[in-house]
Amino acid sequence: MFTIDTRSRTPIYEQLMEKLKELIIREVMKEDEQLPSVRVLAQQLTINPNTIQKAYRELEHQGYIYSIPGKGSFVSPVKNEINKERMEMLRKELERIVGEILYLGVPKDEVIKLIETMEEPERREDKND
Amino acid sequence: MIKADQVSKRFGRFEAVKSVQVHVKKGSIYGLLGSNGAGKTTLLKILSGIIEADHGKPTIEGEQIFERPDIKKRILFIPDQPYFFHQTSLLQMASFYKAVYERWNEERFRQLYEHFALDPKAKLSRMSKGMQRQAAFILTLSAMPDALILDEPFDGLDPVMRQQVKNLLIQDVSSRKMTVLVSSHNLREMEDFCDAVGVMHKGSLLYEKDLEELKTDVSKLQVAFKKMPNESFLKGMNVMHYEKRGRVLTCIVRGNEGDIDRHVRSYEPAIYDVLPLTLEEIFTYEMGSVGYEIRNLIV
Repeated sequence: MFTIDTRSRTPIYEQLMEKLKELIIREVMKEDEQLPSVRVLAQQLTINPNTIQKAYRELEHQGYIYSIPGKGSFVSPVKNEINKERMEMLRKELERIVGEILYLGVPKDEVIKLIETMEEPERREDKND
Repeated sequence: MIKADQVSKRFGRFEAVKSVQVHVKKGSIYGLLGSNGAGKTTLLKILSGIIEADHGKPTIEGEQIFERPDIKKRILFIPDQPYFFHQTSLLQMASFYKAVYERWNEERFRQLYEHFALDPKAKLSRMSKGMQRQAAFILTLSAMPDALILDEPFDGLDPVMRQQVKNLLIQDVSSRKMTVLVSSHNLREMEDFCDAVGVMHKGSLLYEKDLEELKTDVSKLQVAFKKMPNESFLKGMNVMHYEKRGRVLTCIVRGNEGDIDRHVRSYEPAIYDVLPLTLEEIFTYEMGSVGYEIRNLIV
């Protein structure tokens, strides 16, 4: 499903989280779809199962997935309310990137235009939380 | 699951292990790291019940290990040089293992030697180092141990085999909650494999920690200033090591990420990056702080 770069400085559980988040955000993995079990993933990637458990726990904490005891982990429905810490981190990251783009001489309008061409993910109205 | 409580061992006048305290949780893969001659092998041999500790209590699930066949049936040890009886083949060794280890899994044994493509009738003594090691893993994993103690297990295996052996171990860890205690020098390899590590130096255990905890405890900062701050910048943090190249400071700092972040930002750096450390770097710096460091020798 994906590969882990064991040479990277980034901790493996973080890499795993990033990869899974990407799949969820890009809707490769759909709402309520089941994630591979810890056991299967550990075997496929040759990674310590406790590391995978940790990534899953962290993703659940951030609200990307939910788990049903005895059944496994599933992709959470898209939420309106997002983890604040994560939001703050992403905002800083965006600031850094935009800062560099502006420094390199790209006009502000172009950056704004770029953002306008991006689509917002569809959200369902009947939220249960 | 595997525990050493104030374990000491002396060989003549040499104190190989000095009151070491180790705790390996069930279902965990614990990496025992350390400098050469730190006492890793001695500790592993004590914990697998091969040699007796002078002081202290090595236990597995609360039971003493030395001279206890009932406990030893469930723990297997692969030494740094696998041992086989003289002039035996894999099949002959297997029949010995079958007699000793009650949980011997014949089907798994066949599956494994076919997978590794080893000739079960060939003499083990005529096989290469790497193949002997594969044979040791085949025998050990077929005995279905609850705990596995490995001394430099990947030594002599090629990258493909390493990955395969690791994969097999991980399957047993995730499906049967097998506990693994492994010593190694190859820190790169331990990084994705272990979840806890213990570091030994000169017979003592410096510390033991969860790998992630260890990694978040120490960080590498790269900071550049338009104007260099005074000494209070370095003194305000727990700096283990620092290097100055022009206006760029590289520091290895111990402590809470948030505190460090606040401290550094209060000096208004022009560039500020926090890099995670590799296990190898942590090891080198930690060893450096106890006086075991890289000194370039020119001959």
